[in-house]
Amino acid sequence: MGLLSILKKMKQKEKDVRLLMLGLDNAGKTTILKKFIGEDITTISPTFGFNIKTVEHKGLKLNIWDVGGQKSLRSYWRNYFESTDGLIWVVDSADSRRLEDCKKELHSLLKEERLASATLLVFANKQDLPGALSGVEIMKALGLEHIKTHHWQIQACSAVTGENLLDGINWMTTDISSRIFTMD
Amino acid sequence: MLGRMASSMAKIKNGVTEDKAKEENGEIFLEIVGNSQDGEFDIIIGHLQDIIIDEEFLALQHSFMDEHYHYFEDVEENKLIYTDIQKKYTELVEKHIETQLEMRIPHFDMTKFLQLLESKKSEIPEEIFEILLSFTDFLTFKQMFLDYKADKEGLVPDLGGLIISSPFDASR
Repeated sequence: MGLLSILKKMKQKEKDVRLLMLGLDNAGKTTILKKFIGEDITTISPTFGFNIKTVEHKGLKLNIWDVGGQKSLRSYWRNYFESTDGLIWVVDSADSRRLEDCKKELHSLLKEERLASATLLVFANKQDLPGALSGVEIMKALGLEHIKTHHWQIQACSAVTGENLLDGINWMTTDISSRIFTMD
Repeated sequence: MLGRMASSMAKIKNGVTEDKAKEENGEIFLEIVGNSQDGEFDIIIGHLQDIIIDEEFLALQHSFMDEHYHYFEDVEENKLIYTDIQKKYTELVEKHIETQLEMRIPHFDMTKFLQLLESKKSEIPEEIFEILLSFTDFLTFKQMFLDYKADKEGLVPDLGGLIISSPFDASR
C-alpha cells in the first residue's frame, strides 16, 4: 500500500463511512440514493457509470457510492470494493424472474476479501408495486439465513414512497459504528 | 493558509539545520540520541512539503490533466473510466513523491517511513495532510479536471452541480 492510501486509511478512522450500493440493473439503486437525500426522483435513467453522494447522518459522514448494475458493468464493481464499510444490496422485489441471478451475484460478492468486513443491508425494494414479494420471501429466495460471514439485515422498502429507507440506513450505520468503535 | 504554511516550513528548515549538526557527529551519535527518529521524521515531512509545491510536481499534474481531461464532463453521473484515471493519478503522485524523497534524502526507506507515519499521525502538519488527502478524494479529483477543462475551453465552470452533490464543501 502506498503513501496516499495509508494516509486515506488513517483519516477514515474518524467519521467517514463508505457505503457501496449494488444490485442488478433496474433494482432502484439510484432512486434510493436520491430519495434518501431528498432529491427529485422523477427523471432517473439507467446508470452506466456511478454516482456518489455525501450526507451527514447521526454524526457520521456517509459516502454513498451507487454503481450501475447492468450485466456488462458488473465486472467493474470490484474497482469500488476498497475500504467499504457497508454493502447495500438492492433487489427489485417484483422481478421474481431474475431472483436466481440476483442471489448468485450477491453470494459472489460476499466471497470478496475486500468486502469481508462490510455490513450487509438488503433492500427489498419496490414494495409499492403489485406482485412484489415480501421481505421474508426475498430473504428466503436469496438464501440470506445461511450467511454467517457478515452482519446482515433485510429491509422491505419503496424508493418511490421513501418507506423504510431510513430504517435500513439507521440499522446499517448503527452496526457499522458499533464495529468501528469496538475496534478503537 | 500560505502564512501558516510558511511558518511551518521555517520550523522544518530549523529541523534540517539541527540534524545536519548531529550528522557531523556520525551515525552512532544519531542512534543514541532518543529523538533522532523525530528529527528524521520532520526532515522527511519537510521534503514532502517541498515536493508537493514544487514546479516539477505542478508540471507533472498539468501534463496528466492535459492527457485525460477530454474524458470529463460536467454532469452528475460519473463515468467508470474516471476511476481508472484516478488510480493512475494516485500511482503517479505516489511514485513521484517516492522518487523525489529518494533523490533528496540519502538512504531513504519508504516502507520504514510509512510505518513511522502511522505512529506519528498527529505530528503531520494539518496542511500537508489535507493536500495529500486531496490527491485521493474523488470529488476533488473530478472537480480538478472540470476546472482544467473549463479553463482550457474558456468556459466558466458551473459550480451549481458541485454544491448540490457535495453540500458539506459548499463553503469552498
